[in-house]
Amino acid sequence: MARIIVVTSGKGGVGKTTSSAAIGIGLALKGHKVVLIDFDIGLRNLDLIMGCERRVVYDFVNVIKGEATLNQALIKDKRVSTLSILPASQTRDKDALDKESVGKVLTELGETYDYIICDSPAGIEAGAMMALYYADEAIVTTNPEVSSVRDSDRILGMLASRSRRAELNLEPIKEHLLLTRYSPKRVTEGEMLSVEDVEDILSIPLLGVIPESQAVLKASNAGEPVILDKESDAGQAYQDVVNRLLGDSVDFRFLVAEKKGIFSRMFGG
Amino acid sequence: MANSSIEFKCTSFSLSVLHLKTSVLADVRAILTKKIAQAPDLFNLVPVVVNIEEIAGEVDYLAIKELIQALNFTFVGFTGAIEKEQKLLIRKLGFSFVNSAKKSSTSTGNSEVSKAQSAVKVFPEKTALYSDKVHRGQIRSGQQVYAQGQNLVVIGSVSAGAEVIADGNIHVYGALRGRAIAGAKGHQQAQIYCQNLEAELVSINGNYWLSESMEQHWASPVYIHLNDNELTSSKLI
Repeated sequence: MARIIVVTSGKGGVGKTTSSAAIGIGLALKGHKVVLIDFDIGLRNLDLIMGCERRVVYDFVNVIKGEATLNQALIKDKRVSTLSILPASQTRDKDALDKESVGKVLTELGETYDYIICDSPAGIEAGAMMALYYADEAIVTTNPEVSSVRDSDRILGMLASRSRRAELNLEPIKEHLLLTRYSPKRVTEGEMLSVEDVEDILSIPLLGVIPESQAVLKASNAGEPVILDKESDAGQAYQDVVNRLLGDSVDFRFLVAEKKGIFSRMFGG
Repeated sequence: MANSSIEFKCTSFSLSVLHLKTSVLADVRAILTKKIAQAPDLFNLVPVVVNIEEIAGEVDYLAIKELIQALNFTFVGFTGAIEKEQKLLIRKLGFSFVNSAKKSSTSTGNSEVSKAQSAVKVFPEKTALYSDKVHRGQIRSGQQVYAQGQNLVVIGSVSAGAEVIADGNIHVYGALRGRAIAGAKGHQQAQIYCQNLEAELVSINGNYWLSESMEQHWASPVYIHLNDNELTSSKLI
């Protein structure tokens, strides 16, 4: 049985697509068969982050409408052979998806793939609901900032009430907290919520903390998911996330500000 | 001669009082049956004292008692009889007559007996009469939980942007960061308890506070209650 994981947040711009791409490629590099689905119909981004935007012929909506088969629409990643991408349509809107057809596509994908990663659009409307409806697990992507935390809380409420698992009274969706754009220095200065603050408010298990990093923007523009940049702290943090998803217990890194030099080390502590 | 096997003590109890305003028991039965259907658990075997003060004319005590029992209340006795003969008759029939400490002030001179809907009134006089609605887990932003005719017990936190409402008391065994509205249908004794007060709004019986009024006990375990119609917060521990 494939694990269906939705990467969601409520708020936009917090790093859902970046995280979907990094986690997807990370799982595939471990030898798992992974498919990444872009649910952000009308605002197609995942293909850009994955660097396959020029290879999109058919998309998710074509498959739903029966205009193309799944195999025609799926794009095989050139770096990792076990990874495929199902791109969103750029010319349609979010009403193009319906529960029944999405369910069929997911079932069909589940026959081939081990992991189905659904990259959710922002918001709490139909598009986001569709992305989370069939999920077994949810990665709630949150920035350490009050409005993002509030929106994540709202989405957690939706996960618990509007998903298929909730409707059928099955075991609830397994929730994971992924804190992105974390800056330990700004936490120390009191400008940013700490990991503990966010955990206290949302009270769900922490999957990972991705430090704010120049490498992320660079990776996005280059279409090379940041996890492939093994030198960067963000890339390493995503690698930890993938290992934790696979059941390893990995210590959290990049939670404290780097010491500046010998003096701060001597006097600071 | 130490004998502690029995002891007489005076204890005050909160009881529901059913104020009857008509002697047409068929009407009373119809209205009560409807009320019970709305919240069967709320009324089941509830001890009831019947106030007969406002009944004009003859009162059939035995029939009233049988009606009350037939509707699955626990009949306690009568109250509100003004005349001595009435009291004597009640005692003679073997029913207890209960004197309330505070005289009811609901009767107004021109009460209309013919109005069927107002002919019966059930007063849930104290909190003890409410059962509990228990919610396990966090109540998230955007969610609303209403304990109609009940107390609300939340085993978890109430997030900012969430709303908890109860006709009775509200207990939050976590942080209260959203809105809490107790005594929603008018209940002066309703209280709000929480382990950590960081609420956006608390309200009891229509009196409310926004967070700025909670500074005194912010982020500590408190309960909030009405004191002479003024909201008051007190430390829990």
